[in-house]
Amino acid sequence: MQYMLLIYEPEEHYANASEAFLTEIVGKHMALSAELREKGLLIGGDGLQGVETATTVVTDSGGVQSLHDGPFAETREQLGGYYLIDVPDLDAALAWARRMPVVPGGKVEVRPVMIY
Amino acid sequence: MNFGAAIAGARGRVVAALAARFRDLDLAEEAFSEASLSALTAWPSDPPRDPAAWLWRAALRRAVDARRRTRTRENAVHDAPPPEPTPEDLAMLADQPIPDERLRLIFVCCHPALALESRAALTLKVVCGLSTERLARAFLVGESAMLQRITRAKKKIAAAAVPFEVPARAAWPERLEAVLATLEIAYAQAYEDAALAGDCADFAAEVLRLSGLLAELVPDDPEVLGLAALVRFAEARRPARLDDGGAMAPISEQDVAAWNDRLIAEGARRLDRAAREKGTGPYRMMAAIHAAHLSRRESGATPWPAIATLYDALVLLRPGPVTAVNRAVAIGEAHGPQAGLAALAAIPAGRDLSRWLPWQVARAGLNDRAGRRAEALAAYDAALALDPPPAERLYLARKRAEIAAP
Repeated sequence: MQYMLLIYEPEEHYANASEAFLTEIVGKHMALSAELREKGLLIGGDGLQGVETATTVVTDSGGVQSLHDGPFAETREQLGGYYLIDVPDLDAALAWARRMPVVPGGKVEVRPVMIY
Repeated sequence: MNFGAAIAGARGRVVAALAARFRDLDLAEEAFSEASLSALTAWPSDPPRDPAAWLWRAALRRAVDARRRTRTRENAVHDAPPPEPTPEDLAMLADQPIPDERLRLIFVCCHPALALESRAALTLKVVCGLSTERLARAFLVGESAMLQRITRAKKKIAAAAVPFEVPARAAWPERLEAVLATLEIAYAQAYEDAALAGDCADFAAEVLRLSGLLAELVPDDPEVLGLAALVRFAEARRPARLDDGGAMAPISEQDVAAWNDRLIAEGARRLDRAAREKGTGPYRMMAAIHAAHLSRRESGATPWPAIATLYDALVLLRPGPVTAVNRAVAIGEAHGPQAGLAALAAIPAGRDLSRWLPWQVARAGLNDRAGRRAEALAAYDAALALDPPPAERLYLARKRAEIAAP
């Protein structure tokens, strides 16, 4: 069963972060993904650039499309990265989600991937 | 033989065994209800020796057939379906005693990944067999909203692959807490509006049964035992909760003769059992408080100092305004209304307490006892303005009238 772990965090935490903090959190992600890969559970994953680089394509009810500078949702926490993993069930996915290195206020959304 | 009772009695075990076997709640429920229907046709002329085993065999056959039909339809879609039992497997399975998978089923239905209210409804539906219509009435929502709630929860269990397993021991504290919170909200639903609708007793009886079942399945957890005791104590007092005039009677003023001896004894047995286990928690503590109130039946007086001490412990185990207000009332009774008012004033105002009924009721009672008539009247008025349930309104209006008269 595949699950996407979507990491939402308050971006300002990273904007004002020290070099040491960034090195530490990147190191934790490297260690976690190495562990997932070693166990054969990792399908993919990446960090995303900041929301100031985001562009949203909006399709309105009439089908007309327009571009919007920024992310679609105006929330404090922004999608900053994801892991795609293959584990037996939701409890296993939640156990990995709990181990995500996140800053205070961080949230990890666990979503099963559709099976076609 | 009472066929309806036999079917109801077998339900939890058979549905749980089917759900664990096929990992599909809908399939389990449907197979059981089909088996029940054929039982009602077959049994009158040929009563079974063991109704539960009969239903298990019939439901198992139906579930396998239904699964085979969907598999053939979806074979092109799904890769590698799990192996189906052969007719020989099935015959062997059906002849063995029904495996007791009820705890597994309870853990699935009470998974913390589901919203608390959905968990409560789903558990009562799947484990106890309550109808959607009955649940809608109990939870004060429309039938279609209830159906949607249950359907959504089932869909999430299937789509997100909530495991059909009893969780590993390490995960028990969190998972058991989720189960207990589910039962608590289910019972609160039965308790809250008991004064409004006389038809809550059957619903409460189901929650009582469920909490007893959980205590049977997990016999060594003080919190599971505590909750089972708590709902029994609360339910024992149901006949005494309203006075002859239909007004609410607080626990310390209830007619002890109307309390149910059997339920009190059942609760006391579970609380004693909890005392032999290590550790404590909010449910056990709440049950202990309740037991102290019930001791008035023998002693003739409520042991308020002991209750105030128990509340001191409860605020640590379960902080929050509800506990804090009850503690202030107990302190007021034990150590005088001034002490109670001081405890009430010390409650941190996380929200506007003046718009909260229990706070105004406590304030009114404590001021009343302290002889501060004007403050008491103002608090009774504020409480009455907060739209209390009818039985409580009657009680508050009477209390107010007692001090309003010159």
